[in-house]
Amino acid sequence: MTDPMEHPVLKDATRELREGRLDRRAFLRVATLLGVSAGAAYGMAGLPAPALAQTAQPKKGGTLRLGMRVHDLSSPHTYSWIEAANAGRQTLDYLTQTGPDNVTRPHLVAKWTASPDLKVWTFELRKDVKWRKGGRTFNADDAIWNINRVLDAKTGSSVVGLLKGFILEEYETGEKDDKGAAKKSTRLWAPNAIEKVDEFTFRLNGKAANLAIPEALYHYPFLMLDPAEGGKFGVGSNGTGAYELTELEIGRRAVFTARKDGYFAGGPWIERFEIIDIGEDPAAAVAALASKQIDMEYQGSIATLPAMEKLTHLQMFKVDTAYTAVARVHPIKPFDDKRVRQALRYATDTEATLKAAHRGLGLPGDHHHVAPVHPEYAPNIAQKHDVAKAKALLAEAGYPNGIDAEIACRPQPDWELLAVQTMVEQWKAAGIRVKINVMPSAQYWDVWTKVPFGFTTWAHRPLGTMVLGLAYRTGASWNEANWSNAEFDKLITEAEGYLDVEKRRQVMAKLEQILLEDGPVVVPLWRALFAHADKKVKGYQLHPSVYIDVYKIWVEA
Amino acid sequence: MARYLLKQLFNMAITLFAVTFIVFVLNELTPGDVVRKLLGPYASADQVEKVTREMGLDRPVMVRYAEYMANAARGDFGQSIVFRRPVSEVLWDRLGNTLLLAGVCFAIIVPFSVLLGVLAGMRERGWIDRSVSVFSSVCASIPEFAMGVFLLAIFVVQLGWLPGTSPLRDDTGWPIWTQLVLPAAVVVLYDAGYLIAMIRTSMVEVMRQPFIRTAVLKGMSFRRVVVKHALRNALIAPFTVILLQINYLVAGLVVVEMVFAYPGFGRMMLEAALAKDIAIVEAGTLVAVSVTMLTQVVGDLGYRALDPRISI
Repeated sequence: MTDPMEHPVLKDATRELREGRLDRRAFLRVATLLGVSAGAAYGMAGLPAPALAQTAQPKKGGTLRLGMRVHDLSSPHTYSWIEAANAGRQTLDYLTQTGPDNVTRPHLVAKWTASPDLKVWTFELRKDVKWRKGGRTFNADDAIWNINRVLDAKTGSSVVGLLKGFILEEYETGEKDDKGAAKKSTRLWAPNAIEKVDEFTFRLNGKAANLAIPEALYHYPFLMLDPAEGGKFGVGSNGTGAYELTELEIGRRAVFTARKDGYFAGGPWIERFEIIDIGEDPAAAVAALASKQIDMEYQGSIATLPAMEKLTHLQMFKVDTAYTAVARVHPIKPFDDKRVRQALRYATDTEATLKAAHRGLGLPGDHHHVAPVHPEYAPNIAQKHDVAKAKALLAEAGYPNGIDAEIACRPQPDWELLAVQTMVEQWKAAGIRVKINVMPSAQYWDVWTKVPFGFTTWAHRPLGTMVLGLAYRTGASWNEANWSNAEFDKLITEAEGYLDVEKRRQVMAKLEQILLEDGPVVVPLWRALFAHADKKVKGYQLHPSVYIDVYKIWVEA
Repeated sequence: MARYLLKQLFNMAITLFAVTFIVFVLNELTPGDVVRKLLGPYASADQVEKVTREMGLDRPVMVRYAEYMANAARGDFGQSIVFRRPVSEVLWDRLGNTLLLAGVCFAIIVPFSVLLGVLAGMRERGWIDRSVSVFSSVCASIPEFAMGVFLLAIFVVQLGWLPGTSPLRDDTGWPIWTQLVLPAAVVVLYDAGYLIAMIRTSMVEVMRQPFIRTAVLKGMSFRRVVVKHALRNALIAPFTVILLQINYLVAGLVVVEMVFAYPGFGRMMLEAALAKDIAIVEAGTLVAVSVTMLTQVVGDLGYRALDPRISI
């Protein structure tokens, strides 16, 4: 196995970093994924390691109450809600952890190495991790049992989609579906795909190169359960984590109690952790924080932000992300002409929209849907607000008197409708007259790929290539704009083939250019996520995916 | 009388049956996939398909309806998709919470509105009448959610006297009775505003009747006129309206329950309907319709007791 420090990909990355062709954050991600420790990687990048060890001494004891939905928790490997994973992760652990800084660090795994071709990954587990019940040590058999289970098609875990290309193959089950077509399923591509090396070491033998394996191990359903419990989870379930689930009532609350014998990753400090379900109404979060019935909210809402700011006992946590929503058009009249699509972008004032719709929390949008937080973001490729230019383009396209259209959007979350209203006002100045059709969310999701003009949420994804591949490749199932550009398709496949961020960025510059020239979307803003908590809550850092690890948090008396 | 009750019971059975069917079909026709809603936006298509099959939702709607009715006939209302518990457990729990709030509200609203309505109506255009009328129209015209937010801003954010949400647990630092104050205040103010106006109007009309003038002219004390003669007559018309408030208090507290995160029947129904949790929606609808129909029967009987001229 290759020593991470000797890995050819790391050598390339180090050279590029020195030559100034790779930025430091991208370097950090690559180096840590290859198994270099976060401390060493920060050192090599010439950055101070983030202050994860706080200056203040954490205090033991006390209760933390989080206002968040309480979903069904019984099947961790098929969790589909982040909220559910945020409950399960207090009792169960992941093999790795990706921090708010996008750097993946060891957790149950002590270290890992990758083969030069990135197909074979060897993981060495910590030897000091104890199950809370029974006192047994967490070992390679436990890890392998869990990996096999999440990759089993019968389990139905979303991990399959993530690792299919790396370690699974499709096969015909021999059954037919209703239409008579052969049913397909997935299975491990080779008998030794998951291999036990010794009691604390296992190996994944993949069929294709994949740099993101350690990140995938932190995918939120990838929790390590006690094999003796058969994949089920509930009150009293075993775990390696810092807390025991002691009470659960779906829709009301969940209660966790700290384990007595200590936790391998430090902490836990909080003695009792409660999740209180206060429903979907953002006003309830304000009310509950104001009367100190909860200490922390899961995620803040733009509508209630001014009210939260009035509560002086609160602090706000914030993180920039690639979360957004895009106004996208189908290539039908008048938007079949790319000049009309460009006019729509020139008529949009992203900075004003960010202020009006998201209270300035975040960054002005990039109309090519690659965000500044993405490692391969190519900067300075933009279409700035220019009404005269928008008018000229419309006239050129044969619409000197402007155009009329209708945009479909959702009423919730509140910032989405605000963004649409703001843009519709801005577009008027360029002669683009748009009617707003607000439909209930459920209805919108039935037609989101079908409406000619719509405003659709896109979640944060760690890589720009992931977003572009999902949303703009010809024929992709989430290509909601029905957009097709042969040059783009060729370049996105090329970009996906580069592990090297700098090479990807060079292609990304071309992709961004194509999307501005020909693309189907307006991207008004990049959202910052935020959440409020009582000032007594210490040690919390907001994660771009809102993952919450309670064992790191403590409360001041 | 017995015939009347039998007839009502029969009507009720027919109505309930029709309602179960309509609700089932409406639920089927509303957009959105049950499993997609249950699993959320990040679930994969494979996961959605798997759970759909597990829950038997891939079968035709009529088959599922027949199965549901067969089980319901045996007293089994099924399992809630959202809460993962038997429907009866969730339903009684939430209904109990709502009945607590509704009971408190009803016990305040009725005497409060009768008192103010009668005081206002007995001397039309007097100063009491004017002040009560202003009060009641202001209360009735502020929507519940706005009233909720006003009261929250004053008593929770500014003064810090009361809790902002009502989880109905005493381990949140606030005794349970304090958690009832704000939701009840919103309901009482909103609902009483309307009832006071009704009762006042009825009282004003009664006070204009010749028999009241006669009673006053023959020298009876005004107090006696009001209590002995006017009151009973003035309450006949508002009586049904008062009973209708029971429907509202049981099934219509959605907004208040959402604003204060109150674990009640209305919030349960809203969440179940949004998630297309049909088992809960059906059972909840049966309860709501039964309450409506029963209050109608009680209304008819009460009407007869108040006014012997009416026969049923």
